[in-house]
Amino acid sequence: MMEFEDLLSLNLRLGVILSSTLMLIGLILISSESGIGITTSQLINPVAGSGSHGVGIAQTLGGVLQLHGISFIFLGIIVLIATPILRVLLSIMSFLHRGNWTYVIITSIVFVNLVVAIAVIPGLIAK
Amino acid sequence: MFEVYLAFLLLTGIVAGIVGSLSGLGGAVVIIPVLTLLLGVPIEYAAGTALIATIANSSGAASAYVKSRLSNIKIGMSLEIATTGGAIIGALIASAIYAKGLSSDIFIIFGIVLFISIIPIFMEHKKGRKRRMNKDWTTGAFQLSGKYYDRAINETVRYSGFRWWFGELVMAAAGLISGLLGIGSGTLKVLAMDWGMGLPIKVTTATSNFMIGVTAAASAAIYWSLGYVQPLLCAPIIIGILAGSYYGSKKLDDIRGSRVQVLFLVILAIAGMEMILRGFGIA
Repeated sequence: MMEFEDLLSLNLRLGVILSSTLMLIGLILISSESGIGITTSQLINPVAGSGSHGVGIAQTLGGVLQLHGISFIFLGIIVLIATPILRVLLSIMSFLHRGNWTYVIITSIVFVNLVVAIAVIPGLIAK
Repeated sequence: MFEVYLAFLLLTGIVAGIVGSLSGLGGAVVIIPVLTLLLGVPIEYAAGTALIATIANSSGAASAYVKSRLSNIKIGMSLEIATTGGAIIGALIASAIYAKGLSSDIFIIFGIVLFISIIPIFMEHKKGRKRRMNKDWTTGAFQLSGKYYDRAINETVRYSGFRWWFGELVMAAAGLISGLLGIGSGTLKVLAMDWGMGLPIKVTTATSNFMIGVTAAASAAIYWSLGYVQPLLCAPIIIGILAGSYYGSKKLDDIRGSRVQVLFLVILAIAGMEMILRGFGIA
């Protein structure tokens, strides 16, 4: 039986490895793509290039299926942001399992904060 | 040409990772002055990149700290209420500042925060041994105790912390700065737990690393929706920083408190000065 700390540690490590692998694949794909519609000078100037504005999870996954390098990088970044969030979810489950209600509540508040940051506020910004 | 650009950013990330871990401040703090002052990247995109890099660094380091049971998960989790809340507010303030075109303010605040962050690192080595069992009503209520195995003295150290409410207060400020500037604000987190809550420095450092990822994730999501996350900037920089800090963290114990670390801190102090000058339109 794996201890809770080992599970958290594994979650964090796998998140970083998966994410950097996805970003590396993305960079290799972009280098091999004949043209991605932007010039190098635009790439160096982030304002003219392609930022994350309006990019969502569904669009990113669609792009990954079509082997778009940029989408692989975005997916890598999503994995990176999701790693600590998964860590909070795992903790809620662990505290529930142990019947530590004080920490079930505390960890749930942290989770609600994260949901506000990820789902509620971006929704308001988009309007 | 594209490959040259990538190789250059990758190298920048590696150097930032090494300097960040050897100075004890973290790669994200280094990458913002490099991207803005040397490469002319707008500071909101530099901050977006730094936030993502912060999550990568924190998750990597915390993975080892959690495994060795140095991070106190309960203490970290209870303080994340304040850091994530603060991070959301900080990111929203940043978005309002950028919307008004006042990014020079961010340069000035960044420079000042960088200066202040350097001071505790100088003081860290002069600390004596402190009491390990600090108690008040919050110690029991929030289960602020634990133990860890100290390899240096070859024994299991039991500890407990107190003044949870004070920790929360400082953590809210740490989260706010993190969201405002795109950094991990590890120094302030360490101060909150070490000086504020009376926890041992090893636990404090490990728990701070553990908390930084969640804090940065909250503000990173907001930066993403504002469009400040640039994939072609993030990917090479983050891969570079991860490699650089991995190398740097292995060397940190050898150079801790030495002239090399002081040299890095001086370089960062100059970078902080440059940021302030840029903010005032002088540089």
